[in-house]
Amino acid sequence: MEPNGILIYAQKNQEGRIEPVVFELLSKARSLKEKLWNQRIMVCLIGERKNYDSIVNELGKYGADEVVIVSDDRLKDYNKIYHSEIFTQIAKKYPPRIILIGATPQGKEIAAYTSTKLETGLTADCTNLDIGENYLLLSTRPTFGGQMTADILCKTFPQMATVQQNIFQAIKKENTARAIFNWIDIDKIENKIEIIKTIQKEKHNKDIREAEIIIAGGQGACQENGFALIYELAKKLNGAVAGSREAYEKGYITKSQQVGQSGKVVAPKVYIAIGISGADQHLTGIKNSGKIIAINKDKNAPIFKYADIGIIGDLFEILPRLINEIDIDKEEKNE
Amino acid sequence: MNITVFIKQIPDTNDVKWTENNNIDRIQTDSIMNPVDKTAIEAALRIKEANNSKITIVTMGPKKAEAVLKEAIAMGADEAILLCDSKFAGSDTLATSKILAASIKEILPDTDILIFGKSAADGETGQTGPCVAARLNIPFISDITDIIEITDKDITVNSETENEKNIIKCQYPLVLCINNYIYKPRLPRIAGYIKAKDYIYKTFTIEDLKLTSGETGIKGSPTYVSQIFKCEDTRNGKIFDYKTTDFTQIYEEIQKVI
Repeated sequence: MEPNGILIYAQKNQEGRIEPVVFELLSKARSLKEKLWNQRIMVCLIGERKNYDSIVNELGKYGADEVVIVSDDRLKDYNKIYHSEIFTQIAKKYPPRIILIGATPQGKEIAAYTSTKLETGLTADCTNLDIGENYLLLSTRPTFGGQMTADILCKTFPQMATVQQNIFQAIKKENTARAIFNWIDIDKIENKIEIIKTIQKEKHNKDIREAEIIIAGGQGACQENGFALIYELAKKLNGAVAGSREAYEKGYITKSQQVGQSGKVVAPKVYIAIGISGADQHLTGIKNSGKIIAINKDKNAPIFKYADIGIIGDLFEILPRLINEIDIDKEEKNE
Repeated sequence: MNITVFIKQIPDTNDVKWTENNNIDRIQTDSIMNPVDKTAIEAALRIKEANNSKITIVTMGPKKAEAVLKEAIAMGADEAILLCDSKFAGSDTLATSKILAASIKEILPDTDILIFGKSAADGETGQTGPCVAARLNIPFISDITDIIEITDKDITVNSETENEKNIIKCQYPLVLCINNYIYKPRLPRIAGYIKAKDYIYKTFTIEDLKLTSGETGIKGSPTYVSQIFKCEDTRNGKIFDYKTTDFTQIYEEIQKVI
């Protein structure tokens, strides 16, 4: 069968709701579809037996033409072996030109499995997608430790890509989707993994993707009281603390606070980058921010090109000064 | 038990040297062992200490990858293997996972546990371990934060993502993907360095792995780079020098946005 259209994996969060990245991918798929003779956009939804009318309707509003549903009560919670194999079988049954998957831990597992089983290429954590030469998918992603950016093509079908949440915007349109039901015998799928216990983690910090102000530290802040100053500034501005890959690797922040290609893509109103040099893999994670303020002692740091306001200087001198000014401001307002 | 740890040598991305054309200078940039791979070796060493095992290190690369193999031997690994062939050069994830899976099938078929670091600091895709597992039709567990129990038949581990912790039990053979910094990798001792100095690693080529040139390297890689560039967007912002500018002036600008 000639590969046709775009297939998107509809992943759900723990509450059973479709992840935002699915709607973002659907919106992007619509612009790709226009360059591909308006071929269909298909979504694969795997879950327990229930009425999926409202979900199909919602997926349709973002651009899905067809929603392939595989349901079984054993598929309520994500199971990497079942979900990966089922998604692969659907991709074989309705061979698409392109497969797009959200780059969540779940999506990455499914993408790796499916690309291997279909013997095709996979470009992970893309920062842009387009249709390039010969109507092939053009996937853009940071490379060389995130210092550079590459455009990547794939010469086999389906062409697969994963994309993080917040890279694309979800936009509604007038459209309706048709549901297609499939039945797959999951007893035939061998499962050697036994999950003994699952503990939902308490969320200590707000998701940085929802923060309006983010104060982020990088390598330059990974010494002395750098992060103490960042936390103090965050408290004054009622912002969230985040950091670069270096800050995560050095243990100053948790993985959930890491911004960039291998962390999260954020879009706050204000992003304050402190001691962050600005490798491509980090900039990928902040380019949708409203205003970017950068503090760095290296005047050649790439971050200054992306900043709306840049301060060249020692963060250990500048931050106390800035915190002090904000304090004075607040006192004046209170008077 | 037999443990195989897959490691990668990468350019030292904390110390990248640039050419005049804004490209990475691969000759001037030093190669190092991918940092999380040291944690993967440490995990293997801990399994070995708990349950007498043999650890084999596998890496794919040019002859100069010898340095990371010797480093692994110095840390305490028993054997090291280099998969080296000009026909491997330029392999993408699909071709790489095919080569690594073939090393298990053809050279190390008795492996019980395959260990990978979560991702390579140069590519950051984190796909190779899961792809090797899919190719070998064996399970994999990722985001491992601790190993809880090891028996002759199975292993129980803690796997943790942002939202949940799972305790997972799985029979051998399987692939484990180890998260960054869950264990502090040990430093080699003098005896380790001495062993590494005299250690002669084995090299295997495409013929040894029973692969064809169409399956590996650039020919066997469906993905290819059409161009590489440095992100050129700019916001043309206002840049101040703290030393030479009155801070009140800088703060006025900041006030407008916060």
